[in-house]
Amino acid sequence: MANNALLDRAFVACSHPIRRGILERLAGGEMTVGEATGDFGVSKPAISKHLKLLEEAGAITRVIDGRTHRLQLREQPLDEAYAWMTNQRELWERKLDTVDQYLREQKERQQPQQGPPQQQNNPAKESK
Amino acid sequence: MTEITKPNETSMRLQRTYDAPAEDVFDAWTNPEVLRRWWKANPAWITPVAEVDLRVGGRYRISMEDPESGKKFTAGGEYSEVSRPTRLVYSWQWEQEDGELGHSSTVAVDFRGEGEQTTVVLEHTGLESLESRDSHGHGWEGVLEAFQTHLSERAAQTS
Repeated sequence: MANNALLDRAFVACSHPIRRGILERLAGGEMTVGEATGDFGVSKPAISKHLKLLEEAGAITRVIDGRTHRLQLREQPLDEAYAWMTNQRELWERKLDTVDQYLREQKERQQPQQGPPQQQNNPAKESK
Repeated sequence: MTEITKPNETSMRLQRTYDAPAEDVFDAWTNPEVLRRWWKANPAWITPVAEVDLRVGGRYRISMEDPESGKKFTAGGEYSEVSRPTRLVYSWQWEQEDGELGHSSTVAVDFRGEGEQTTVVLEHTGLESLESRDSHGHGWEGVLEAFQTHLSERAAQTS
């Protein structure tokens, strides 16, 4: 099972529209910090905070090339968050199925068959 | 049929209608035998444990072990609302390998009885505390889906 602390951070990474916006842009490929974070209409310190959270979650990595900082998306943490959501949903689906099956069995037990199953050719009936 | 909707980005909602009165569905939902069956995803899995202390403040715990990998799958939590046969609310935590409990989320189950039919509405609000209040637009699941698409496209390009 995935490391829960990391998973929590992956969810934090995805829990703000600006961070989601940055991830979406980076899904298209590597970008400079300016390209990935421009036009969000928020202050530089706010952008720095979002980038820090994304880096802590391991969702992005920063490649420093001289004076240019480039950002890359890292798939694994987000992959795990996605898998977690899918697994949890499947788990509930299975619970709903199990309850359904159990209720059907209960019903059958409460309504015992009314007499023996009817034969196509009932000799008793025919002899009348 | 089960309907799945996504009311917001950090919760999941499932709904299903059963041909049974609400009392029966409620009792089945909390029945340890049902929990054990549910949890035993693979017939080879062993040690089915299902403990249920059905009262406000009471806890439940379900556990299963895959003998092949030795991995244990254990979840548990505490009941915070027990209103038979209409509503059940409990916390949900995965037990980690060291026995510590992981992040706590909340499961609310509504049993809407209508005569001989009952609709169960399950809402698992997993990560409420992480949700940003000013969050608008598409959910994070959308991002993850877009991201998956990106990955598969990239895989297609390299192959």
